[in-house]
Amino acid sequence: MNPTEVSASKEIPPQGPPPKPFHLPATTDFSLPNGMRVTIVPYGTVPKVAVRACVGAGAIHESAAQVWLSRLTAALMKEGTRTRPAEQVAREAAEMGGQLEIDAGTDFTSVGGVALSDFGPKFVALLADVLTAPSLPPAELPRLKADLLRELSIEKSQPEAQAHECFVETLFPDHPYGRAFPSESALNSYTIEDARTFYRSNFDAARTHLYIAGKLEGDLRRAVEDAFGGWAKGAPAPDLPACPVKARSFHLIDRPGAAQSNLLIGLPVAEPSSPDFIKLDVMNSLLGGSFASRITSNIREEKGYTYSPISQIATHRQLAYWLQSADVATDVTGPSLHEIFYEIDRLRHEPPSAEELEGIRNFLAGLFILRNTISPDAIIGQLHFVDSQGLDRSYLSTYTRKVMEVQPADVQRMAETYLDPSQMTIVVVGDQAQIADQIAPYEAVTQ
Amino acid sequence: MPITYYKLPNGLRVILSPDSTAPTVVTAVYYRIGFRVEPRDRTGFAHLFEHMMFQGSRNLGKMEFIRLVQENGGVLNGSTRFDFTNYFELLPSNKLETALWAEADRMKGLAITEENLKNQQDVVINEVQVSVLNQPYGGFPWLWMPQHANSNWYNSHNFYGELKDIEAATLDEVQAFFKTYYAPNNAALAIVGDFEPEEAQAMIAKYFTGIAPAELPPPPDLAEPRQEEEKTATRQDPLANRPALAFSYHMPPRNSPEYFAMGLLDQMLVQGDDSLLYRELVKKHGFSGEVSGAINELGNMFDYDGPMLWTASLFHDSTVQPEQILSAVDTVVESLQSQPVEQSLVDRSITKMRSNLYDTLTQFGGFGRANLMACYALFDDDPSRIDSLEAEFRKVTPQLVERTAREYLRKNNRTVLRIVPGAAELAADPAVATEESN
Repeated sequence: MNPTEVSASKEIPPQGPPPKPFHLPATTDFSLPNGMRVTIVPYGTVPKVAVRACVGAGAIHESAAQVWLSRLTAALMKEGTRTRPAEQVAREAAEMGGQLEIDAGTDFTSVGGVALSDFGPKFVALLADVLTAPSLPPAELPRLKADLLRELSIEKSQPEAQAHECFVETLFPDHPYGRAFPSESALNSYTIEDARTFYRSNFDAARTHLYIAGKLEGDLRRAVEDAFGGWAKGAPAPDLPACPVKARSFHLIDRPGAAQSNLLIGLPVAEPSSPDFIKLDVMNSLLGGSFASRITSNIREEKGYTYSPISQIATHRQLAYWLQSADVATDVTGPSLHEIFYEIDRLRHEPPSAEELEGIRNFLAGLFILRNTISPDAIIGQLHFVDSQGLDRSYLSTYTRKVMEVQPADVQRMAETYLDPSQMTIVVVGDQAQIADQIAPYEAVTQ
Repeated sequence: MPITYYKLPNGLRVILSPDSTAPTVVTAVYYRIGFRVEPRDRTGFAHLFEHMMFQGSRNLGKMEFIRLVQENGGVLNGSTRFDFTNYFELLPSNKLETALWAEADRMKGLAITEENLKNQQDVVINEVQVSVLNQPYGGFPWLWMPQHANSNWYNSHNFYGELKDIEAATLDEVQAFFKTYYAPNNAALAIVGDFEPEEAQAMIAKYFTGIAPAELPPPPDLAEPRQEEEKTATRQDPLANRPALAFSYHMPPRNSPEYFAMGLLDQMLVQGDDSLLYRELVKKHGFSGEVSGAINELGNMFDYDGPMLWTASLFHDSTVQPEQILSAVDTVVESLQSQPVEQSLVDRSITKMRSNLYDTLTQFGGFGRANLMACYALFDDDPSRIDSLEAEFRKVTPQLVERTAREYLRKNNRTVLRIVPGAAELAADPAVATEESN
């Protein structure tokens, strides 16, 4: 069938009725006397409940000589409490249909899991024991360090991780956000006292927000008060502001024989509390942040240079950066960079059509419903983003209206103001011998 | 939750399951053609074809399907698996009719060009590069293990595709594949979410009734012979810098009592920090930080219809020999084979399984429920099976666990795959396969 022949008689897609009203799940919020914040969200009919404590303790609280100490501490926290050996913690969680996961991130350590609703209050108590009274046993230290050394070695062999390490190092020199990996010798040097001190200095009620979402059974508020009421208050997390670098630089990491080049291109943009942030979100979705976006349409669907290009606005506490990533075939490394910058320039110089923008606004409005309904953990993720950024919860209730208010000129202005190619960090992981000529024009602009 | 199941006169299986928790709806179309059954000289074809379903149909040109879903506030995807290829949209619930119209449009036929095909061949080759060839441990163990453990070509070929096969595909082959397999009588349509079943039935009748059925080819023989000898394969991975080890056992036939017992054995052996292999390999011996495992590494234990493997895997240090790890595995497996396990262990496994089932069914806004209903409609003509799964697991006794472990966790039902880090050397041992030969 020749598509041009049928175009004259194409059917118009049915639009369906007007949308049903969407109401965000209602929350109950309170604080314990020790300062721990608690949010409870009844949601859904599936008998499961997600319980997650977000503690303001993470890589950001490590010194330059302590990279991954937060990860080691998290691993040790899984090794039992003062009253429950690790095996008992694991077995009790399993008997509730859950598992306690402890993940140390850059700004927060998350401690939690998803259990059968019947066991909600008991699961809260188990979580509290693990979070507030871990034994951090020295006997497990050598094994956990060996595990982290292995993870380090494997992560560093991945081209995406190599690119990421270089990118954050460039954006955040002299800040914990810029330190993706420790040296093996540093990791080897950490003692049980290091981990215990890290735990003592960073894990307390004042730094913790507990979220509970899902089908709720039993008196969860009472369970929270009983389990966490006695926890030390401590002090709120210290403010450790980062000042990301906004300057053009080009970095090539040689990976001989690589079939693809991994590209990262980005720079700092306005933080989540800025009035520009939602406009940036819209601009990003149109430029490279969705399947039908311009960069993806160009380098994937028109040119076939890559499989999964994506741009995003990554956030830390009170800062954000825009980042385009793409893993492209080696022989089109230069052309891919060219097309990405072409699309950035085009948006900086010309507003999108009202029709193109409307599609993106509708996309974000629909996505917002999914993000706030798709699972209890997704609901927690949305609330934690707002709370951890110090935003008012009205950020969520006004989000869709603000998205729908964004105009074509706003999108152009966002690109013009924030996506200046002469201030971008570019990282390429690829086969230098094959791509040297292709990337030369981009290296040349390095300052 | 209520399920409505019926067939249109053209054979399309329709499954409706309303749930008004959120104002969203999942529309999922499943075709009963997976990557097992693809042309022998065209490995990876079923997956390449999946990409072509996004390249244009009569009323939706290239990028228009994707844009239609996106600008109506939804997300979409497609995936190629052992025994089906699926296409689904998750949209605000008022857009159900839009999704049905679009899925019907591409069920009627493709309007694609040579240029579209060349474009997607490039995209898919990039996909294989980024997922497998340019990645340490890229196909470990999900892509490589079936190639070593199975002996019937349908189960043992490289289903992501040899690059030369992906490059060789022609537009005629794409259209022929569509004509053969993409017919309503080889498909199921599942809708889960906030909708009125009567309204949905009227829309389905309007858009899908006129699509003609096709004469389907007889299904090929997918059976695997009973494995009588343990197999070991070694792959050199020049991009990796630590060794890795995986071991697989052929599964009991689907829906048999032993199959449900294997579901619980999976829970007992590798799911969670309370599992037996976690305790033995991670906590006791410190071989690794975690042990992963699954029945069907590209889905779950319910969404396939043919021979399958239960696989476990871990990364370890060069100072540890695979034999040491396997000997520890044997200790655990032998303990399951020598006596019935305690009832409390079976009970805990059932609790974990029940909790896991809820997660499976609610995955991605109800997509998980659509997935299982569509599979049970296509494979068993009975989507209500999802409501009896828990009862099937509850029938498993400690004695059945022991019998199942004896027959299916036999050493000679096992395939071991070792990943050796570092550059490949030309090996005389035929068991040695390198990535290049893949």
